[in-house]
Amino acid sequence: MNQQDLEVLDREITRLEDIQAIKDLQMKYGYYFETQRLHDIVDLFSENTESIEITDHGLFYGKKGVRTQFLEWMGRGANRDAQPQSQGNPAMSGGLVCIMQLQGVIELAEDGRTAAGRWVCFDMEARPWCGVMRNYWLHGYYENKYIKENGQWLFLKLHWNNTFWTPYTDGWLKTPLLGNMDEHPTIRPDLPATAFHPYPSGWHLPYSFKHPV
Amino acid sequence: MLTLESLQNRVRRLEDIKDIERLQGIYGYYRDYAEWDKIVDLYSERADSVEIADQGVYKGKEGIKRYYLKLLGAKPPRPGMLSLQIQLQGVITVSPDGNTARGRWYGWAMEALPTASIHEGELRQVWTHGIYENEYVKENGKWLFSKVHYSLIFRTPYEDGWLKTPVVGQIGPSLEVPPDAPPTAYHPYPSRRRVPYHYPNPVTGK
Repeated sequence: MNQQDLEVLDREITRLEDIQAIKDLQMKYGYYFETQRLHDIVDLFSENTESIEITDHGLFYGKKGVRTQFLEWMGRGANRDAQPQSQGNPAMSGGLVCIMQLQGVIELAEDGRTAAGRWVCFDMEARPWCGVMRNYWLHGYYENKYIKENGQWLFLKLHWNNTFWTPYTDGWLKTPLLGNMDEHPTIRPDLPATAFHPYPSGWHLPYSFKHPV
Repeated sequence: MLTLESLQNRVRRLEDIKDIERLQGIYGYYRDYAEWDKIVDLYSERADSVEIADQGVYKGKEGIKRYYLKLLGAKPPRPGMLSLQIQLQGVITVSPDGNTARGRWYGWAMEALPTASIHEGELRQVWTHGIYENEYVKENGKWLFSKVHYSLIFRTPYEDGWLKTPVVGQIGPSLEVPPDAPPTAYHPYPSRRRVPYHYPNPVTGK
């Protein structure tokens, strides 16, 4: 067994492990989101995070922006210890989030230090709107970036682009978007939403992957 | 005995499975956006066929081009048309020689389609569910589709559900861009037909 063969094998196995580790990271994000463990979500982001953008909330820069989005905006400032077992987000009290992370396509950089990934997010939710519980379907795509730091994959950028957010009773054709998105009364993003064009705009979110052929 | 070659083969098999899962995922993303020319390029030049629901079999790369570009891509996408099909639960079986593979997937979709009915022309929102049994081929180190077959299970109006109205938009093969052969396996719910598995039971081997 010569050294060169072993090194090739090592690179190939590392690539497989990296893809699986990134997929695990994304799916763990989904499970934490489901239980609204927002502090645990923040921990999945690199200290060097570029940005985070979710639906029409706008874009937040840096790890600081990640904390603002998840802990201040969504979590309304609740601290980690105050997180009940299944509901870390007071605004979601009595709600339900089944946010599935599906169909991941991971593109590893040549040097194996960073990666990009596209995912389908299909989400079944119930949450109170103006005091009234409503259930609805959401669909969208993630275009995320990841970075390997000290052997561990972390989010470098997260962008969830919303296709529809429709009441269960209506469906996506009748009511593609609830008029009343999850706004925060005071927090403003660093930039307004950069790519919020839900159905039926016909807008296409660019792919991070190259055509394989 | 553990050899370098046996390790290389095992790693390659894992890579093959990952690459095929990726191919199917990318197919799904292009499909959502009706980018048919990009999908055509995912098929081998020696591809066998494509068969979707009740539309019949389009054979060879020429037939595949006819299906995607002449039939599906003939008209620009109509505003408001939507077809978001999620590629789920892939089971990939790579052949012992590593040159071909088969895969079974769910294709589960939320759509807004102009269905053929008294409502023709009007968009209707539907849930669509079906099973792919696909074939793949490795050429010059790249995995490509050699056969795509999607068996429809239901395509139901959002307002009705699969029990009340299992299928709408059942229009059969195109008359303008006819297939090379009629549908080979179109038996949606509640037919009780099952899409055959490409793989044996992993425990009993049957």
